[in-house]
Amino acid sequence: MLRFALRRLLIAIPLLVVASILVFVLVVNTGDPLEDMRTNPRIPKGQIALQEHKLGLDQPVTVRYWRWVSKAVHGDFGKDNKDRPVWPQVKRALFVTLRLVLLAQIIAVLIGVTIGVISAVRQYSWFDYAATGISFFLFSMPIVAVAAFLRYIGALRVNEWLGRTKNPLIKVQGDRTFPSKCTPNNPGACGLRAGLYDFATHALLPTLALLLITYAGYSRFQRASMLETLSSDYTRTARAKGITERRVIMRHAFRNSLIPVTTIMALDFGAIIGGAIITETIFEWRGMGRLLIDSINKIDPNILLCWLMITATCVIVFNIIADLLYAVLDPRIRLG
Amino acid sequence: MSGEPILEVKDLTVGFPTDDGVVHAVRGVSYSVAAREVVGIVGESGCGKSVTSMAMMGLLPRTARIGGSIRFRGQELVGAPKKALRALRGSKIAMIFQDPMTAMNPVYTVGWQLGEALRAHSDLSGRAASKRAIELLDLVGIPQPERRAEQYPHEFSGGMRQRAMIAMAISNNPDVIIADEPTTALDVTVQAQVLETLLRLKDEVNAAIILITHDLGVVAGMVDDLKVMYAGRIVESGTVDDIFYRPRMPYTVGLLGSLPSAAGGTDRLTPIKGSPPSLLRLKPGCPFSARCPIVRDECLSVEPELAGVGPGHLAACVATDEVAAMANPKDMFHAPPLVVAGSEADT
Ligand SMILES: Nc1ncnc2c1ncn2[C@@H]1O[C@H](COP(=O)(O)OP(=O)(O)OP(=O)(O)O)[C@@H](O)[C@H]1O
Ligand SMILES: [Mg+2]
Repeated sequence: MLRFALRRLLIAIPLLVVASILVFVLVVNTGDPLEDMRTNPRIPKGQIALQEHKLGLDQPVTVRYWRWVSKAVHGDFGKDNKDRPVWPQVKRALFVTLRLVLLAQIIAVLIGVTIGVISAVRQYSWFDYAATGISFFLFSMPIVAVAAFLRYIGALRVNEWLGRTKNPLIKVQGDRTFPSKCTPNNPGACGLRAGLYDFATHALLPTLALLLITYAGYSRFQRASMLETLSSDYTRTARAKGITERRVIMRHAFRNSLIPVTTIMALDFGAIIGGAIITETIFEWRGMGRLLIDSINKIDPNILLCWLMITATCVIVFNIIADLLYAVLDPRIRLG
Repeated sequence: MSGEPILEVKDLTVGFPTDDGVVHAVRGVSYSVAAREVVGIVGESGCGKSVTSMAMMGLLPRTARIGGSIRFRGQELVGAPKKALRALRGSKIAMIFQDPMTAMNPVYTVGWQLGEALRAHSDLSGRAASKRAIELLDLVGIPQPERRAEQYPHEFSGGMRQRAMIAMAISNNPDVIIADEPTTALDVTVQAQVLETLLRLKDEVNAAIILITHDLGVVAGMVDDLKVMYAGRIVESGTVDDIFYRPRMPYTVGLLGSLPSAAGGTDRLTPIKGSPPSLLRLKPGCPFSARCPIVRDECLSVEPELAGVGPGHLAACVATDEVAAMANPKDMFHAPPLVVAGSEADT
């Protein structure tokens, strides 16, 4: 098992190198960060050349790649177009996104798996039909519609109903109330409880939007996986032993149905770090999705590079985690 | 075979409602099994052998409609509460399945799975169960049982897995072991060893065996009583000698003719033409009539009942006398159907 894990980790290194090259080539060809300067007739050529030299744009691509990558491996992702360090910005966006998606993802997994298992065990019952109907409905909804519905109709109605139209309880803008610093003038932001409360009122709707869309997929997947293990030969053998149906379902069918589902979920966790662009936009969270859009609009290569490398690393890391989980759950893999 | 019957099946019917109608998988099967007896059931794929045995285990899907009666030591199993059936399953009636590759759960060790079977019907401690599991593996002839018990099914060969399944089946000293094509998935050399193991252990635990197969060659040397099934019914029943040397039902004759070893010597192989009828919409009359070389008008209207054709020998055919009179009944499958005797089609 340890050797298996080490081998997977070693394979990750060349993967990261390849990813960094691809990312660099992609970003270098995205556009010219000095376009604004060049199209502005009042800026003298010399200043542009100076800026070009400062950003290293006058060097060949290979040299630029080497300069960038040798710093990046030490965690130094350079500065953006406005000369601010890149990493703190990306880090902040990353935490905003994690707060949003991690919670939604965990709840979605729990609900999805539970509903999927019940649906499979009670196949064609009213529960199964209802769960299937709701899942398909949510699954086919564009997330824009769900998020917009929650923000513009759901929140309004609930706040109205709670009698909180002036000072709405459920917040629909941003990930926290500003100012968020605890000062004598702003006692509402002091203490862990106040912080959590503030977060909860902001996170409720975007989490719900993400969760509704994600759980639907998981419940369908878990249902299919569980139906397969329930009709498998080893489940029949387990029944033939005369053990309780509960044990047949939990120890045999459910245990085995988790193998494919867990893998998919681990992969999803890696991919989701890139942010939930639509949800973040609708609820005005300044997370990874928003940062990506902004830096593309501004053609800010260092932010883009950092962003892409962080997400690529997450995808690779969670791929390894998925592989390891698969090996833990399925002994047939361990020797391979 | 003498002795009190421990398992009695009477007029067993099983239907599966589907969108297209009811699939009549078993249509009135009756037989009994005495203590320590070995009963063989043969027949083509889809004739209802597995469904019959799953009915005895109470393992048919919930949608199945079961009629008739299955009695184990006088206790009615059809319609019995789930709990009562579960108490019998794996303890009094055990089952060995066809495909040892998929019959064991890939994520648990073989020893664990044996232990689970043991603990389902006793209050053995976990440690005592794993000790007993090792003894059982030893008993079925698996070398190095301590090490093997710690291994997963995928580390076992097919033959060894089937031995492990036999160990599981005998773990609670059952009275009846249903072996549903236990060797079909194995290579020929391993088949004989596994069957030998099964018979040896049957004596050890004093169990009766219902041996299901579609291969007459497998049962020849080992069963006391043989049933031939066709389209959800038993069409002939008797001793191995009755079936092999005095077959009275044309389907049995055809089955023997399509079997290399039973055909004996220089006889050529003659597969039965056509395929079994759909169990969804059975036409009236004998279900074998469409493939029968000696079919006659009455076969198309009435389905014949099983009737005695000798001591302990039953056959369901209107033409048993005619078959009995034939010097070499297998030849009927050489000639095209409905050709009057005399035109020997031997070319
Ligand atoms: N759950 C089910 N629903 C509908 N039809 C079924 C079901 N289970 C079995 N059948 C049908 O019942 C018939 C008998 O099946 P069974 O499995 O008993 O055949 P078998 O004699 O064991 O064949 P084989 O030699 O291939 O194992 C088949 O035609 C099959 O299609
Ligand atoms: Mg079968």
